[in-house]
Amino acid sequence: MTGPVAISEQGRGQSHALEIADVSKRFSVAGRRVQALSHIRLAVDDGEFVSIVGASGCGKSTLLRLVLGLDTDYDGDIRVDGHRVERPGLDRSIVFQEHRLLPWLNVEANVAAALRQSGLGAAERGELVRDHLHLVGLDQFAKAYPAQLSGGMAQRVAIARALVTKPRFLLLDEPLGALDALTRLRLQDELQRIVRHEGTTAVLVTHDVDEAVYLGDRIVIMHPHPGRIATILPVTDAVSRDRSDPNFIRLRDEVLSWLGVSRTGIDADAELARRSA
Amino acid sequence: MSLITIAGRERLSHTAPIGPPPSPFLGRHLRPLAVPIALLAIWELLAHAGVADPRFLPPLEEVVARGVAEFSRGGLAFNLLASLERDLIGFVCGSVAGIALGLAIGFSRLLERLLGPVLLVHRQIALFAWVPLISMWFGGGEAGKVVFIALAAFQPALINTWQGVSGIPRSYRELAEVLTFGWFDFARIIAIPGALPQIFTGLHSALIYAWTATVGAELLLNIAPGIGGRMNEGQHLFHMDLLLLCILLLGGVGVVFNVIAGSLEHRLLRWRIP
Amino acid sequence: MAAGLSATQTGPGDSTAGAAPVRRGNFPAAGILLLGLVVPLGLLTAWTVAALLGHLPEQILPPPWIVLDTLLDGIQDGSLLSSTMTSLERVAEGFAAGAAVGLVFGTAVGLSKTLREFVDPLFLALSQVPTLGWMPIVILIVGIDEGLKIIVIGWSAFIPVVLNTSQGVRDVPEAYVELGRVLSFSRWSKLTMIVLPSAVPSIFTGLREGLANGWQTLVAVELIASFEGLGYLMAYGRQLFQLELVLSAMIVVGLIGLVIHGLLTLAENRLQRWRPETSR
Repeated sequence: MTGPVAISEQGRGQSHALEIADVSKRFSVAGRRVQALSHIRLAVDDGEFVSIVGASGCGKSTLLRLVLGLDTDYDGDIRVDGHRVERPGLDRSIVFQEHRLLPWLNVEANVAAALRQSGLGAAERGELVRDHLHLVGLDQFAKAYPAQLSGGMAQRVAIARALVTKPRFLLLDEPLGALDALTRLRLQDELQRIVRHEGTTAVLVTHDVDEAVYLGDRIVIMHPHPGRIATILPVTDAVSRDRSDPNFIRLRDEVLSWLGVSRTGIDADAELARRSA
Repeated sequence: MSLITIAGRERLSHTAPIGPPPSPFLGRHLRPLAVPIALLAIWELLAHAGVADPRFLPPLEEVVARGVAEFSRGGLAFNLLASLERDLIGFVCGSVAGIALGLAIGFSRLLERLLGPVLLVHRQIALFAWVPLISMWFGGGEAGKVVFIALAAFQPALINTWQGVSGIPRSYRELAEVLTFGWFDFARIIAIPGALPQIFTGLHSALIYAWTATVGAELLLNIAPGIGGRMNEGQHLFHMDLLLLCILLLGGVGVVFNVIAGSLEHRLLRWRIP
Repeated sequence: MAAGLSATQTGPGDSTAGAAPVRRGNFPAAGILLLGLVVPLGLLTAWTVAALLGHLPEQILPPPWIVLDTLLDGIQDGSLLSSTMTSLERVAEGFAAGAAVGLVFGTAVGLSKTLREFVDPLFLALSQVPTLGWMPIVILIVGIDEGLKIIVIGWSAFIPVVLNTSQGVRDVPEAYVELGRVLSFSRWSKLTMIVLPSAVPSIFTGLREGLANGWQTLVAVELIASFEGLGYLMAYGRQLFQLELVLSAMIVVGLIGLVIHGLLTLAENRLQRWRPETSR
């Protein structure tokens, strides 16, 4: 297969905030070896918001697990500031697709749970938790239990929990995938505002092309079997964050055609063949 | 033996009934009383009509008189307290040991591998089959009885705690990893609260099993103060009224245990109710 | 009672069916087996060594070889086998009677709200009395013959069967009931096509608990009032201070418990093949 050139132009030669260097990952499923990721190369710089899109099975979530350090059994290297990722750490936090709040803790305690290993005092923790609940607009719900929240609210709590440790990297694994369309649009704006406010570097995995274009500074497009990077498209400033702007639509269509979906529906396969040639 | 009647089950009936709407026969509030009252009336009739042998079916007033006499003299109340004391001591010892071991096995995979198979085989041995052995090791007196009751409470507490802890979803384990929890935080924030509903189920069963075992121990081991002792007496002296009173007490204690356990569970697991 | 444990955690919603909690581990399969054998073998060795060194009085624990001898003798002269058969017959009869009546009664109570309102409280109150508590009364009325055993074992099996069957019948998802109405099913079709099949997991839980309870009750009944059977053998051994007899009967009781457990798990898996793997 063709090794896609995927290292960002900027910052070449110096170490990147996050560097995924030639990472490959195999699983064995029912005795068969499956290549989940093949030669992934990606560098993310400080303050960047990178979106990764791809069909299901392209390994994008697997990639996040590797970055998190949940799984260290892979070929290649994943480095943060030049140091190899060995285990999960509070510098990288994640929002899962399902909110994964602990049902027996109330909202406040769920957010505070992330600070258990922070070494901060109780007062500082309380303040951080309050600040972040305010950030996601849930000050009123500090004492509520997860079962009492709507899906969108629960996901906001999960976002607050991910950010409360002031992580260097925010990893988002289809964080809005389980929400209804309207809530999703609203939370996309929220997410953008929050990430900007915190100045966090973010990596978003999604299968929603609109979301990827709307939120990302760069869009990484992945193809499945084996999971690999097809291309990386920059989101230039010319593409305003207006979903009906012609530039926005053009870029979205370009991403869609990379994914094998053509707006006109005529030459999707031909287009795909041409692109991967 | 055990009556695994957990009152909480009643709460599950949220689906609509099948079939036609209930017929308007008798007021809703009277219905639960109708059958027992009818049965008692038939009983009373039979007893007074001379159809039934009064030794087998004593008239109700005799049972009541017996109850009044017993309780005013304090006889049966004393026996009830003796049984309850034994029951609670055994229950506390057994369930504390069960929960402790259950947590240990749930947390440590090595312990689980070492002890799991033995415990699963152990639990297939019918509880009462331990009676002869226990009576020879600990005697048929108080020690033997309490050990037997503790054994009865131990098993459900152990198994449920174990299953509760090892049933913690993978996604929560991952969360603990991502939040870089140590062993202690994992136990305190994730594993124990997560296993709590099942630990309660275990305690609830343990309570019922311990009560069953109390009656069994009193009937099978040396005669001592207790409801079982009075039942032995009632059987040998053919005092049906005493036996019926004892049954009433046994059932009453069971109901009270269920209510206490149910309301505690309800209170402590508030987070489950939206 | 002990074997009934498996039943306690198998509510209609979650049927882990008493299976050991299984976790994916890093131990290879053979290693797991070996680890499981460490404790039993260790105990056996300790027992043997202690007996050889004469540290164990025979009244506390006879040497393992004597227990084994007793077990083999009992099998050879047929006494252990006939006791086992007697016990199994009693359980089979009592369980069959209790379960059959329980299935019918439980289905009726589950279907009819009216019936439930009339009998539920009384039934629940009666079921709170430990089965053994009924024994003195039943002994006075029917004596200590086979009738006693069948009644008491039957009653102990009856209760969980009724509770679980009626619950299962009541918990039939509303969507399926609507489907039956849309398809204009007759009452009989609703019962056989929708209600009973969807209640199968719950009914099975009831049967499992019932059988476990029946087995428990059998041992107790035989200890109290019997002249044959495994329980009697234990009571007899205890009276004669022959612990080896008690222990060998316990081994048989445990083995039968294991076999019952295995058969039930097998049957359950077969019956519920249509359920997705995760909900088993």
